[in-house]
Formats: sequence, structure tokens, C-alpha cells
Amino acid sequence: MGAINCDGRTIREINSEIKRLVADGEKNIVVKNTAARHNLGVAIVKPVKLRFEGSVGYYCAGMIDGPTVEVTGSAGWGLAESMLNGTVIVRGSAGNAAAATIRGGTVVIHGDAAARLAVALKGGLVLVGGNCGYMAGFMAQKGTLIVCGDVGAAFGDSMYEAVCFVGGKIGELGNDAVIEKPTEQEEAFLRDTLKSHMPKKTVLKFKKVVAGRKLWNFSKQERAVWKEAL
Amino acid sequence: MAPHSEPNRPPLKASGTYTPAVIEDIQVKAELGRYRLRGFGTLRERTWATFDDLTFIPCTLTRIPLEGYREKCSARTVLGKRFAKKPIELDIPIMITGMSWGALSYNAKVALAKGANAAGSSNTTGDGGMLMAERENSRALIYEVLPSRYGINVHHLQMADGIELTIGQGAKPGTGGLLLGSKVLDTIAKQRDLPVGVDQRSPARHPDFLGPDDMVIKIEELREATDWRVPIFVKMGATRVFDDVRLAAKAGADVVVVDGMEGGTGAAAEICQEHTGIPTLAAVCEARAALEDVGLYGEVQLIIAGGIRNGVDAAKAMALGADACYIGTAALIALNCNAPLYVEDYEKIGAAPYHCHHCHTGLCPVGITTQKEDLMKRLEIEPAAERVANLLHAMTSEIQVLARACGKADIHDLEPEDLRALSLEASMICDVPLVGTTRVFGGGPGWKERRCH
Repeated sequence: MGAINCDGRTIREINSEIKRLVADGEKNIVVKNTAARHNLGVAIVKPVKLRFEGSVGYYCAGMIDGPTVEVTGSAGWGLAESMLNGTVIVRGSAGNAAAATIRGGTVVIHGDAAARLAVALKGGLVLVGGNCGYMAGFMAQKGTLIVCGDVGAAFGDSMYEAVCFVGGKIGELGNDAVIEKPTEQEEAFLRDTLKSHMPKKTVLKFKKVVAGRKLWNFSKQERAVWKEAL
Repeated sequence: MAPHSEPNRPPLKASGTYTPAVIEDIQVKAELGRYRLRGFGTLRERTWATFDDLTFIPCTLTRIPLEGYREKCSARTVLGKRFAKKPIELDIPIMITGMSWGALSYNAKVALAKGANAAGSSNTTGDGGMLMAERENSRALIYEVLPSRYGINVHHLQMADGIELTIGQGAKPGTGGLLLGSKVLDTIAKQRDLPVGVDQRSPARHPDFLGPDDMVIKIEELREATDWRVPIFVKMGATRVFDDVRLAAKAGADVVVVDGMEGGTGAAAEICQEHTGIPTLAAVCEARAALEDVGLYGEVQLIIAGGIRNGVDAAKAMALGADACYIGTAALIALNCNAPLYVEDYEKIGAAPYHCHHCHTGLCPVGITTQKEDLMKRLEIEPAAERVANLLHAMTSEIQVLARACGKADIHDLEPEDLRALSLEASMICDVPLVGTTRVFGGGPGWKERRCH
């Protein structure tokens, strides 16, 4: 196992060391004393296990393709942004724009997520154990967002084909967001997903939120919706 | 016969306020129920000060010119010397700006890449990500990171020779991209992770940072992702240029790109194209003053874009402080945009050669701004690439003609002293004396006054 101590080292030195270990074929890397440093472990494109002990700052595991990343503390803004593939697990909570524009992979946040969670989601799976803030799922294109707790206002605003599931209360639906009943397959998928990522968590019933598709094309027949969205 | 000359009939009076164009606009919107959309960029008559309001004052007795057609005049351009391990080195200072594969056809994108490559210049990706054919055919490819992050791919980012973090665009600052459903066909929809046929309205704001403070961290992320190898550009539409350029430079950009009001677009609200932003001439002056203000002029390079039509515009922009210029619309015109070909197809979309701004429809008669196979075939890649290369050479040679006449052995040595203003406005904006005087009217640009207090 490779171990890196962040104390007294620049982010360039820390990331270079991670990349050197990955290039040498190391499969397990532990990074200690992360001290909420920004840009830890960005753009790692190999299937390696990376464990950040402590909290991390902005863009941790941003633009990765393949690694399994664990953060034992909380994460700052833009966690795993633009990830192509891999798994990112945060034991604590995550700041704004967690899992922004990811195109694949899985992001699991055991605590809460702040505003604009999974903004412009383009694929993959985002699972939040706690609550999330304002405007989660804004313009989400593809992929799945699951929030076990409550979600804030403007939830699922202006979405395309992404599918959201909410275990708690919905503060307010966003523009063009509609509630649907989950199918049996979806309920089974939700049970399996929780079981594999958060076995101690029980959510009795999920609400499904998808796009009403009234904003997909300009139409003067939909003036009430477009008034806000134009 | 003109109405006023008809006998027994008083002259007709037309409103100066409700002109035929205004009446048409109101009536179209009364049907449409929303703002009007179109492509191309501003169509307004140029009533503001432009590069045309400046003239070069070549050498006579006080200075000695270089031999016009013989002596060397270097056009070599290096960008990203501040932090990047591998700055971009180009033979010429005219680069191809970011235009998306989606707004443009595959053939257009590849022709631009090949043309830029042949001329020793760079090409830029665009909203929707990178085309592999564009990478393969570019000696220098700049990868745009836009608010939408459509097609974002770390592997493509790591293959690039430069990264451009795009904050906005001159034709429509403060708004995101638009791609109407007629262009969001199978391949483009898949590339952007969108449903086929949606009217795609891209976000105006980056999803994961808000202002200059966290942009510092974003820039660091992009550098870490590329091991500090390639230059990071920050591109913005021209609005509060003096402040915005200072912020971008302080945030750690290697290169700042300022895109003026005359810049083009594949589709945008018409009002944004006509009534937002500041002209490219004013933008370059403010941008230079901004870099001087923070002590980074020369260290952070400045690229100017927005309505650069020829080597003269580029030479004037460079004399005022730009290190290089982007062209977009001019490059498309080299491809055949608005050429008198397939005239009947221009008519079908309500346009005509030299009057077409219908890029948003996806029905480009010359195969540039379309995703339809039959139309795209009209643009043959190889001859189109050659036309782009020729234009880039021609523009560079125009800059060299002016530079040699001004006694410069390097086009980057052109300076404001080589210029005089033909209008009061240009004199005030550019800090250049009005012709026939030795004075800068108005005491120079406003930011200089502010600095003096």
C-alpha cells in the first residue's frame, strides 16, 4: 500500500506522488492529513483505490476515469465533477455541485449534499444518504439521482432524461419537473442500490421525479412554463 | 414609380421610430410569442468606433521601413509563457476560434483543423467536445471547457495543447449556447448526452464555480489534470473588460481571450447579438490597460476576437496590445459561408447569398452550419481546408505588409504609436492622437483617469 502525507507539501507534489504510485502499479493508496486541500486526486484515469483520510476541498476526484475513491471526512465543491467512470464515496457531507456533469460512475455521499447536487448530470449514479439543498438535478441530462432524505427547492428543474428518486420531502419541484410512480423494477433497483451502498439505511417509499418534457422544444402553447424558462 | 412623384398624391410619410424593420419585428414576435433567434452575430450598421477608425502611419523620414517584399518580418507567436511547461508555438498570430461540432458540420470542423494546421496555426474545439478527426489534423488544438460541459472527456483534455476555460462569448455575453432541435440529430445528441431533437439551451454559468475566487481553484484543477504542461486560456465576452481581464489574470490564466461585440454565434437571441457587449476596438484597449494595471502585460498574453475580418483589423488589434487574434466568422466565410452557390436553397430559408444569417436553422445551403448529410457533402474538406489556409496566410501577409512599412521586423512590435485615429471617438477610446493633431482627445480612456486619482 502506498501512503502519502499531505503535511508541508504542495498540491502539485501530492498529486504528482499519487500519479507516480499509480504509474508504478500501486493498487491501494492512502492520503493522510488532507486538511480540506483543493484538487486532490484529480484526473486519475487508472483503476486504483484511493483513500483520503480527512476532509477534502474543491474538485476532489474531479475528471477521473476508473478509480475507487473514498473520503473519510467531508468534501468541498465540485466533488468528482465531470467523472467518466469510477466510484467516489464520501463518509461525511458534500458541498455545492457534487457530482456536477458526471458522465458515468457512482458517487455516494453518506451525509448531506449542498446546492446544485448533480447539476447537468450526464450519466452514472448519484446517491445521497441525507438531505440536499437547492436546485439539485438542475438540467440533468441522463443518469440517476437518489436522495434518501429531503430535497430543497427547484428540484429537478429543466431536466432531460435523468431520473430522480426522493425518499423525504420535496421542498418544491423545479420548472417542468413532474412526479411519477416508480415501477416495480425501479423499486427493486432502489432496494438493491441502498443495500449495496448503505446497508443500514431504510427508506420506505421513494418518489420518482422526471422531466415533463415541456421545455425540450420551444412552444408558445406552453407559455406558462416558458415564461420562467426562456 | 416612387410614391412621392405620383401626381395628385401627397408624399407618404414613414415613421423614423416604427420603421418597416421594426414593424416586421413586432409582427413576427406577435406570432412567435418569444424572443427571436438567429445566428451569425450583430447585423447592425457600424455606428460605433471600429478598427476602421484607425489608420497606420508608416515610416517616412523619422523612421525607416523594412524592404516591403523581401526583408524578414517574423509572425511567430508564442502563447502561454507564464506557467505552462509547453507554451503553444505558432507560425502566425491568427488562430481559429472555438466553434462547436453541432453548430458546425463535421466537414467544416475538419476543414478548419486542416486549414489551420497547414498555415501553422491552431484550432479550437467547442461546446460538445472534441472530434478525434480534429485532434488528428491539428498541430495545436485548444480544448474548450464550457459551462455546459457537453462531451467533457478527461482523455481529450489531456490530449490538448491548450485549455480554454470559457466564461462567455462576445456575441452573447452572459448567456449560454443554443442549438435548436434541427441540429441535435443522432450523433450530436449522443455526443452531448441529450435527447434527439431538443432545442438545447446551454447553461450560462459553470456548474462548479461562481466567481474569480473559486475560478483560481478551477484553473489549478485544470493544471493538475494536465500536469502544468499546457497553457490555460480564460475566454470572456467583452463587457466590463477592464475589471474582468484583471480578475482573469490574477486568477492565474496564461492567456486571456476577449471576444468583442462583433463576434459571431451559431444561434442566440437576436437582442443579445444586437444590444449587449462592447465593441472589439474598445475591448482590446481596456484589456491592455487592465494587464498593464496589474503588471502582467507581456507576461499574460492577450488574444482578441470578435469581427476580425482581415489582416488590417488584426494588425490594428495587435498594435493596440493583442498578441494574437481569433477568427471565426471570417474562417467560415473562407469555407463558403454566404457564397453565391446553391442560391435556390438560400431562398428556401428566406435568405440570399451575402445576406444569410440562418446558421440556427441547420439548413446551411453551403454545408457549414448543418448536420444534414446531403447539405454537409456540399463542403468538400480538402479544398475548403486549403481556402482556410490561404486566408490565414493572406491575413498574415497583410499584417506583415503593414508591419514592414512601419519599420518592424516582428509583427508583435507594432505599437499604438504606429496608429492615428480618424475619429474623435477612436482617439478617446484608443489613447491615440486624432489625425492632424498631436492630442489624444478626452485625455485617454476612462480607466486611465481612474488610475490617476
